[in-house]
Amino acid sequence: MGGQNVQLIVDGKRLDGRKPDEMRNIRIEAGVIPEADGSAFIEWGGNKIICGVYGPRECIPRHGANPYKATVKCRYMMSPFASLDEHGRSGPSRRSNELSKVIREVFENLIIAEKFPNTQIDIFIDVLQAEGGTRTASVTAAAVALVNAGIPMKDMVSAVASGKAGDVLLVDLGKEEDNFGQSDMPIAMSHSDKNIQLLQMDGLLTKDEIAQMLDQVEKGCDELNEKQADALKRFYERGEEEKFEW
Amino acid sequence: MEKRIVLPGERIADGRINAPNTYYRENGTYTAVIGTLDNENRFVPLETAYKPFVGDTVIGMVLDVRHAGYEVDLNLPEGGFIPTRDTKITLQLGDFVYCKIKSVNEVGDVDLGEVRRLPKGKIIEFPTSKVPRLIGRKSSMINMLKERAGGEIMVGNNGYVWISEKSDIPLLLKAIGIIRAKAHKSGLTDEIARLLER
Repeated sequence: MGGQNVQLIVDGKRLDGRKPDEMRNIRIEAGVIPEADGSAFIEWGGNKIICGVYGPRECIPRHGANPYKATVKCRYMMSPFASLDEHGRSGPSRRSNELSKVIREVFENLIIAEKFPNTQIDIFIDVLQAEGGTRTASVTAAAVALVNAGIPMKDMVSAVASGKAGDVLLVDLGKEEDNFGQSDMPIAMSHSDKNIQLLQMDGLLTKDEIAQMLDQVEKGCDELNEKQADALKRFYERGEEEKFEW
Repeated sequence: MEKRIVLPGERIADGRINAPNTYYRENGTYTAVIGTLDNENRFVPLETAYKPFVGDTVIGMVLDVRHAGYEVDLNLPEGGFIPTRDTKITLQLGDFVYCKIKSVNEVGDVDLGEVRRLPKGKIIEFPTSKVPRLIGRKSSMINMLKERAGGEIMVGNNGYVWISEKSDIPLLLKAIGIIRAKAHKSGLTDEIARLLER
């Protein structure tokens, strides 16, 4: 983590002018893919992510089916034009495999899969544009898409990254803060019981710093949950004739 | 009556209550899907994935003709099965059928009975959670649609709606589209009546 030659905090403000505990602008839309059982689109600062959920449907390959519960499958993919130059190819990579796995594990915990034996539930996440924090935005969008698909879940989940740059604790790290900062810790938290569903960490943090960050992340997740609820309410309130506007 | 939309994970009761689309945890009942909650704490789901139950009436299309019976597409992960020994009628590939679910096993395989073949028409998909609204109280909505559109309509619990080719299909599709979009709102029957009168 080479944080020495990049000044990430100037006069208590970040590179994009945010305060340390301020999140980027977030917009969520539900039901953007008519053909999918459930879908969501999220615009989180410079991140643009579309997510579609299909199922429960026949498990393919059949030997992957579990007679006790539904198999949850997740595919995270970054588009070749998604702007982060090191991810300039589509298709599976070490990074996208890792993200698919961690996002799948979040939802394996939350989906009540015992209701649909021998089936699979597919979550497809496509990153159209990236600016740091795509895994947290993906979890937030996928939760909305799953609710939109009517798949029973124990709880709502949202995720936000926290970290440290220039010895200041930050919430919702951007690309530069993620790459050149001192530490990065994305956290996914379920809404009603505040359980941590995903925690990854890069760099070093003290015990006290982690405790402080958890408080900040909890606040951020509450804000995100309101936005998720608002997106779903808008979807169910709008009539058939009012189409979603990009 | 005031309704508000609640998301999964909302506590709706202390202790265990027996309601579909909810689950029990930490001495409370929580919602598992999105739905509306009214003043009396009644939870009505807005969106659910269909789970077959014995006695449901379903509509399907014959997918495969085999010696032992017919496989039927029911908008489910696995097709339903009509054993030949239980039915007198012969079916062909692509026939629309209206039947009752006779049994469902623990992995969701469906056996069908009381089969009726439906005449020529069209099958459309409809969200299963909104099927009660399409039928209406004492079948009021579906009877109104049948009367005004001049043809048969059949609704299956599995979310397939069959429309006879003799009815006014564009008008029906428009009416069903409005029911789908506004299923959780009040004053729907009046709005559909106004649409059909024009």
